[in-house]
Amino acid sequence: MGTLKLAVFLAYKSIFKGNRWSLLLILMVMSLSFANLLLTPSILSGVTDAIDRQRIDTTYGNIVIDPQHNEYSIARTRDIEEAVRRVPGVTGVSSRLTSSALFEYEWKLKDRPEDKGKSGTWRVVGIDPIHESEVTTIHRHIFDGTDLEPSDRDKILLGIEIAGGERSETAPFQTLQGARVGDTVRLTFPNGVQREYEIKGLFRARDIAVADHTAFVTRSEMASVLGRDVYSDRAHQMVVRLGDSGLEARAVEEIRALGFPVEVRTWHDYSGALSGVVSSFDIVASLISGIGLVVAGIVMFIVIYINVLHSRRHIGILRAIGIGRGAIIGSYLAQALFYSTLGIVVGGLLFGFGIQEYFARYPLDLAIGQVSLVLQPGTVVNAITGLVAAGIFAGLVPVLHITRQGIIHAIWGK
Amino acid sequence: MIEVRNLHKVYGRGPAATPALKGIALSVEQGEFVAIMGRSGSGKSTLLHILGLLDSPTQGEFRIQGTDMLRLSDTDEARYRLEEFGYVFQEFSLLPGMSVLENVYVPALGLGRNNGFKKRATELLRTVGLVDRMKHDPTELSGGEQQRAAVARALINRPKILFADEPTASLDLASARVVLDLFRRLNNELKLTIIMVTHEPDDAQYVDRVIWLKDGLIADDGPTASK
Repeated sequence: MGTLKLAVFLAYKSIFKGNRWSLLLILMVMSLSFANLLLTPSILSGVTDAIDRQRIDTTYGNIVIDPQHNEYSIARTRDIEEAVRRVPGVTGVSSRLTSSALFEYEWKLKDRPEDKGKSGTWRVVGIDPIHESEVTTIHRHIFDGTDLEPSDRDKILLGIEIAGGERSETAPFQTLQGARVGDTVRLTFPNGVQREYEIKGLFRARDIAVADHTAFVTRSEMASVLGRDVYSDRAHQMVVRLGDSGLEARAVEEIRALGFPVEVRTWHDYSGALSGVVSSFDIVASLISGIGLVVAGIVMFIVIYINVLHSRRHIGILRAIGIGRGAIIGSYLAQALFYSTLGIVVGGLLFGFGIQEYFARYPLDLAIGQVSLVLQPGTVVNAITGLVAAGIFAGLVPVLHITRQGIIHAIWGK
Repeated sequence: MIEVRNLHKVYGRGPAATPALKGIALSVEQGEFVAIMGRSGSGKSTLLHILGLLDSPTQGEFRIQGTDMLRLSDTDEARYRLEEFGYVFQEFSLLPGMSVLENVYVPALGLGRNNGFKKRATELLRTVGLVDRMKHDPTELSGGEQQRAAVARALINRPKILFADEPTASLDLASARVVLDLFRRLNNELKLTIIMVTHEPDDAQYVDRVIWLKDGLIADDGPTASK
């Protein structure tokens, strides 16, 4: 008990009555190191979170209902929609008819009909605009023109990566090279149907993998292309929106329990290669965190080591007057814990009320969308553990070294 | 009380080995005030450091009241330094960041007992004439005052032996006299054994006995004229 009391007394005196610049420097290094340990993984988590949100908001909703594996389409979609809407947590259901099509723009200007001109093959999705707006946010990303109306027949909504132009990310030769609202495009479907549509709106959802390469027409228009007799009450895919993204697994079970002959999956099951990209981000985040921790540990070690070396004579005098090694080591351990704790608190406040707040107001504007910081609990636990461990290591190693030296050497360096 | 036989100390190894003590033999009785004198490099500080358990000899025997001091564990050595010995160093050795009073009672905290150490530290500061400076930072004290505070610290745990390594070397004449008078008074009143290294011939008038070292050996050992 005496040793502990003495250790705390010595630590208190060293911290609060010692060199204030030294305390300030150590505190600054510890708090900035901690904030840095939180920042990098939070940015990467923000990127993966933005990618995930994009997939939910612009492409899949939370849950995707597909035909059974041996069917091309889902039958009795009205009944399914009605039943799914009653599942707790469901806020929207949209049935889609999907096809690919050859898009042509300014085809009348081609020298010969067989020239490629401004054309390409993309995905066309037939939607009920009102139902779709309950599930995805495509309508919010229209930057020119307007959204489709349920009664529209010869109108089309184009993703920016189909239309092309200055705002697209795709090379011009892979787009329609600047199709604009009011212009006409000609679509040729695999069943031979060929139709002309006026571009009603252009959207840029910043989902450069899927959504921005998609065009939308109304569901009734798509049904007429594919065959109204067959497709008036059928869909190739249904997407479901939930009020809370954490309830997907339970909602999937409840929709399956409705007993319709369909496949029900979460958006996550559709991640495919993108899932690998996100996993890669997680690995990169772990690597950067690890490197950040090592760098922070080394910086802290140097700063605390210099501080302890500066106290070498002090330690020697304490030993000369009979203070035991336990009390001396304990005092430096207490100092290391104090510096670590204060670094965590100050760094945490700096991150929470400074950096995170700044990114919330001014998100990073990346190609995938606006990215804010997402702080995972695991990141905080890792940063705290790492900082405390590095602080203790940096505090203990030099003091153990000095207390093993001779007293005379510690006091006079001889 | 203190018995030393054939004490050797060699610094370094091989061709660089430098002998500092070459076979010292001496005994000091309880209550003696002894000065160890000699030229620079004669080995006097080395001898004091070994007697005070701040350093260890290369070979020899060293006993205090029959206890073999060279076989003590690190913990027991620390206990001796804390409970049995007091130290006053040549350079002012007060700890930064602590008041004069805290500097004096730090060794008492090491005992781990709530033994009225603040009251005793205050009394000791009164004895050395620094009670009105006890809340000051050591850097605010003159050299003589710092050395007197160091004496108070050395006495806080009621040591049996006080070791002083050239305690007046960094002081002006007046301050040196105050410190030496204090030593003399402590020796007379408390029967405190004091072993002091000094190179000032005038300091001899304060002590009972002078041991002269030359080249690591005792050249002369005897009572002073004052005795």
